[in-house]
Amino acid sequence: MKFDISYIFDALPRLLEGALITLQVAILGFCFSIILATFITIVKTSFNSRIFNGFIAFYISFIRGTPLLVQIFLIYYVLPVFGLNLAPFPAGILAITLNSAAFVIEILRGGLASVPKGQFEAAKSLGISGYALWWKIILPQTFITSIPPLVNEFTMVLKATALLSVITVVELMRVSQQIYSANYHPVEVLSATFIIYFLMCFVVSRSSVFLEQRFKVKRA
Amino acid sequence: MLEYQIFFDYFPMILLGFWLTLKIVVCAIALGIPLGLILALGRRSNFILISFFATSFIELFRNTPFIIQVFLFYYVLPFYGLRLSAEYVGILALAAFGSAYFAEIIRAGIDAIPKGQLESARAIGMTDWQSMKNIILPQTVSIVLPPLTNQTLTLIKESAILSTITVHELTMTGLMVQGETFRPFEVFIMVALLYWALNETIASIMRRIEKRYSRNRKQNKIVRSKIDIIKSSGFSR
Repeated sequence: MKFDISYIFDALPRLLEGALITLQVAILGFCFSIILATFITIVKTSFNSRIFNGFIAFYISFIRGTPLLVQIFLIYYVLPVFGLNLAPFPAGILAITLNSAAFVIEILRGGLASVPKGQFEAAKSLGISGYALWWKIILPQTFITSIPPLVNEFTMVLKATALLSVITVVELMRVSQQIYSANYHPVEVLSATFIIYFLMCFVVSRSSVFLEQRFKVKRA
Repeated sequence: MLEYQIFFDYFPMILLGFWLTLKIVVCAIALGIPLGLILALGRRSNFILISFFATSFIELFRNTPFIIQVFLFYYVLPFYGLRLSAEYVGILALAAFGSAYFAEIIRAGIDAIPKGQLESARAIGMTDWQSMKNIILPQTVSIVLPPLTNQTLTLIKESAILSTITVHELTMTGLMVQGETFRPFEVFIMVALLYWALNETIASIMRRIEKRYSRNRKQNKIVRSKIDIIKSSGFSR
């Protein structure tokens, strides 16, 4: 058998469609995980309750200690046992969100540690609290210092979405499997998929520098 | 609603899968670290061809999902006439994936050693390889140990993906038991707990070793700060 490049061109339009779905899943999952992680971080620092923090530590340890694949199976196969039937797509996004949130919480903890304590105290002495304290003062600083690890986390999420193919979410990996099981040319199709994934992740990971420049705090 | 009988009936089978996961990960690390070292040195090489090859290998494997690497190995090797069983393909894929990350860790470790060390080694007449082997690499060990541990934990977790090419490791065994019993909750909790226990055990052992290392060794400040950078960048799934 020879490597036949024409199969790549035949498959390309459908692969690109799959890549769009992959991007969709990754962006949705990442946005949800950032929202969830931000919320948890705020609750963690403002209430400092031992039970809540213990629960979050347990959650993070579980997510970091088990394979994403097993987490996906847990969500996809176990939730129906409790009467919650999710289609593959929302189940996949839920799995990605819950997984990524654990990592984003850790990232935000690091970012928050770099915000000087004086910022909290200054806000307090000015009578700023609650919404304005977090939304206008603390969170912007936290996120700007967290840009590089967050971009890294997004590439992780992008790569993690490929695992959703095992629960039949029709994203790039699944599309390529469908194509090569129809034309029996896995090497060509998988190579093309490999390159598409590489380009997406490479562009995203290189964008970190650009984003850092864009959001750099300008001090006179 | 939990059926405890499943835990007793299928635990031996699950343990068998766990044992294969362990074997696969150990083999992958044994292959991956030397390969990673070669790649790290290759990336620093003065020959453009070698450094280009090493760099592209590292970047390709770091910027693609592991699952597609597994499938590529699974289909490409027979395409070029190399027929291996799924287990061996899995070990190779895991080793290749790991080596790209190992290479970056080792490279960061080498960069953290003050430049004067290499220069003085060269100045007293050691060859490039001698100064690497006798001067630089021994000093990097304590620096790269924490991120290497982290990467090992990642490899354990990524090995679950080998179930997609029918390697009968822990996750695959779990899927099979699930197919027999139709009790996904019990089975996957069992599987998840085993992975979790393994990861936590390794992590706590390595933390203890690290502590001993950092007590015995007084390192200068530059190296310390670089260690912190490497540690903080070591987020892994």
